[in-house]
Amino acid sequence: MFSEQAACTAQSLLAPPSAEASTFARVPVSTYTNCSQHFRLAERSFNRQYAHIYATRLIQMRPLLLERARQKWGSGIAVKKLCELQTAEKCCIVGTLFKSMQLQPSILREISEEHNLLPQPSRTKYIHQLDELILEDELQRIKLEGAVEVQKLVTGTILAVYGSEREGGRFVVEDHCFADLPRQLPRRGSSTDRFVLLVSGLGLGGGSGESFLGMQLLVDVVTGQLGAEGEQSCAAQISRVILAGNLLSQNTQNKDTLNKAKYLTKKTQAASVEAVKMLDEILLQLSASVPVDVMPGEFDPTNYTLPQQPLHHCMFPLAGAYSTLQLVTNPYQADIDGVRFLGTSGQNINDIFKYSSMEDYLEILEWTLRVGHLSPTAPDTLGCYPFYKTDPFIFTDCPHVYFCGNAPRFRSKELKGAEGQQVLLVTIPDFSATQTACLINLRNLTCQPISFSGFSADEDEGEMEISH
Amino acid sequence: RRRSVRRVLSLRGRRSTPRGLLWRRRGPAFPGADPRGKRPATMEDELYLENIDEFVTDQNRIVTYKWLSFTLGVHVNQAKQMLYDYVERKRKENSGAQLHVTYLVAGNLIQNGHICHKVAVVREDKLEAMKSKLAMIASVHVYSIQKAMLKDSGPLYNTDYDIVKTNLQNCSKFSAIQCAAAVPRTSAEVSQAQTSAQADSQTPNDTHAVNVPTINGHVSSAAKQPSPQPKGIMGMFATKSASKSQDTNKETKPESKEATIATTVSSKAPAKGNAMSNFFGKAAMNKLKVHSECEQPKEEKTVAKPSVSVVEPKSPPSAAVEKPGKKMEPVKIQQKDKRRVKRVDMSDNEKKEDENLKKKRRRIKRPQSDSSEDDDVSVSPTPQEAKPHLPSPEPALKIELEPETTEVSTGGKKRKRKRVLKSKTFVDDEGCMVTEKVYESESCTDSEGEFIKSKLPAAHSQSTAAAKKEPKEDRKGLKKGAATASKANKQVSIMGFFQKK
Repeated sequence: MFSEQAACTAQSLLAPPSAEASTFARVPVSTYTNCSQHFRLAERSFNRQYAHIYATRLIQMRPLLLERARQKWGSGIAVKKLCELQTAEKCCIVGTLFKSMQLQPSILREISEEHNLLPQPSRTKYIHQLDELILEDELQRIKLEGAVEVQKLVTGTILAVYGSEREGGRFVVEDHCFADLPRQLPRRGSSTDRFVLLVSGLGLGGGSGESFLGMQLLVDVVTGQLGAEGEQSCAAQISRVILAGNLLSQNTQNKDTLNKAKYLTKKTQAASVEAVKMLDEILLQLSASVPVDVMPGEFDPTNYTLPQQPLHHCMFPLAGAYSTLQLVTNPYQADIDGVRFLGTSGQNINDIFKYSSMEDYLEILEWTLRVGHLSPTAPDTLGCYPFYKTDPFIFTDCPHVYFCGNAPRFRSKELKGAEGQQVLLVTIPDFSATQTACLINLRNLTCQPISFSGFSADEDEGEMEISH
Repeated sequence: RRRSVRRVLSLRGRRSTPRGLLWRRRGPAFPGADPRGKRPATMEDELYLENIDEFVTDQNRIVTYKWLSFTLGVHVNQAKQMLYDYVERKRKENSGAQLHVTYLVAGNLIQNGHICHKVAVVREDKLEAMKSKLAMIASVHVYSIQKAMLKDSGPLYNTDYDIVKTNLQNCSKFSAIQCAAAVPRTSAEVSQAQTSAQADSQTPNDTHAVNVPTINGHVSSAAKQPSPQPKGIMGMFATKSASKSQDTNKETKPESKEATIATTVSSKAPAKGNAMSNFFGKAAMNKLKVHSECEQPKEEKTVAKPSVSVVEPKSPPSAAVEKPGKKMEPVKIQQKDKRRVKRVDMSDNEKKEDENLKKKRRRIKRPQSDSSEDDDVSVSPTPQEAKPHLPSPEPALKIELEPETTEVSTGGKKRKRKRVLKSKTFVDDEGCMVTEKVYESESCTDSEGEFIKSKLPAAHSQSTAAAKKEPKEDRKGLKKGAATASKANKQVSIMGFFQKK
């Protein structure tokens, strides 16, 4: 655990100054490889339809699913395409799921004049009892019924179902299976304690100054200013900091210039400008002391569609001078000291949350791993680049640490796969709300939350207890 | 800040000491003895105490450990200890002293069944309560001292923010952790890294590009990013005139750019029947690509050196000069050769002109692009006074390279020229960023030609030899003559470039 051995020297700084003050050297990076090249977009052409990405997704995942299906239901099962189905014949079909939802926001319905509808209010969840599941393959589609959890599944999932077709174009499902966890490369962890700090949702420019002290305390702990010597020596073992998105607050997404009259907005500056300057200063303090990876998030100044490209270095003139600052994509995959990290800033999980009955972000995180796809709802309800040759969100190999940022709470879990894979699932909480970050120990793949607090006037005995 | 220290010194004799003898460490151990052993009483001890006293009492400041550390130039831990020492003494001397202290407490807290590490700033009156909540205490130290009781921790943040803001460049100077890897790069390296990052974004397996010739990875990347690439070439030749700072930046442009340029050059070399052409083959170029992407920092330095040596001698014997400079990798060799090739180019102006003409003729056959593109691009070409990061010669370079594409060897590469409408952003001679939609050929030959040509004007403008300039201008004039060709943006821009000139 972090700072366990610091206990003995905890009070050493409650003393008159000593002649020498110890300085600790930051643990050097032993190995680091950024494996996110497939999330980088070089040439962007939006001339294509999104059908291609579904087609390539199905093509890529079909062999995996067939293998799983054979493992689960026996190798003798009949695997059929939808066009080959015959009534009342038990077989297995593989396809893409489509969930037709009543409440799904549809732009066509909104602008339809004959219906004269008001725009739909935004909700937290768009599920409805009358939602239906339809399985599509390359040529046909068929409605699914039976032992399949309609509420839980989302559009874009590739799955294999076993059952039989009945009258009326329905397929009654007896069982289904997903691609499950892919194979995992062996982990070459370190023998000594090494930590990676995961933070998300700094929320700069948000207007409320409450989280600023917490943020400063975080930076100070990591850079070794805060704490007694024992704690500082433990902090020197933090080998990397990953900022997982939403560095800027939602409030900086001010679209006043679009709505207000020009004379009102002429000399105003976008709120994100000040926020980015503040972010640059924070990143400068961090990069002067530890390697930092900055992932963009939903409210950050980069492209909206997934995969989000790295923030541009011109926004960070101060911090950009340090080679320890790395601007990376969202989603982000890297090998840090022999441990494979993979994670997003939370948009994929958040989107699945909206269109599925699953409530817990950790549960959704695990579900995406089992389904074998980072973000199945893209491009249906989540913006995505129109890939056509490959779908980069399909898991090719299993990460050791799988995280998502901007979750409402901190949760973590160790997942064990059928083939011996071990994954640490972490949901990083939103820092601006919870003042909590996560420390991952690379030696034994455990996770510990670290929370910060100041004090305020309206507190009594319970000094700002950090949520879970 | 230091001034206040001196002031205190000077006042020492004159000022009565209402604080009494307790502030002078004459006697043996005082209460709260330093566990590390007694130190001989020194002037500095008293100094910091007086300083803190002045800050807190006279100036009514909130003295946080970080603020004190930066102000007095001491290690953060020492600052914390100083604050503690001051508090202890002051309270001993005058128990009713108006002094409020905040502490930092850190430790492990059991929450919801798991251990959470908590770091909190607490007021003195809540210190014990917080300590009792923690299962294990990792650190306790003084966070700040101030005269007035703080309602909330906002002012603490403000104090720290202000002092850090004024010390941004050395914010880790007094920290307890020093990171060896965190070394600020020079501006040259920064720009190189930036462009290399750009190149990396271009060169990864782009399976989504529609009509990119798949011959050469970097060729296609060259097609996509002609502007940064010419910069690299520019940099290679521009070292000579040290007067232009941006030259160093250019020369340190990423090897990926240079590598692509090298490949373009190398691909073009065989076409020219150059002796160098034997050097370059597909294999070498592929290796080049691999090397370029991993050895950029090294590249940068070697590029800088040979370019200096290269630019000086104008004649082909420059090869001999360059050779000792670079032995290491084929990439570097290729770059050197590339330069040498360019040298040869520069001397063979007539040949060039012929090729240009040839190229122009070929270009004329292609569909006309918008005339507006011509005009726009013509504004951009400039002498190489560009901002460090976006040198303006890009369009010039682009322009220059275009005619060269004809010379590019086929070597099995496709010579298809597909015109694609692309947006180009660059900085023109006035330092304005110009974005224009231009038709660009997507083919290796084009981009190669671009780069090669771009080096020439750059080298010319940098060199002091006027003679060199003349043939170049002749060439330019010739190009100007064939202005109607509008095959690709690059050629068009060349025309415009020289017309304006």
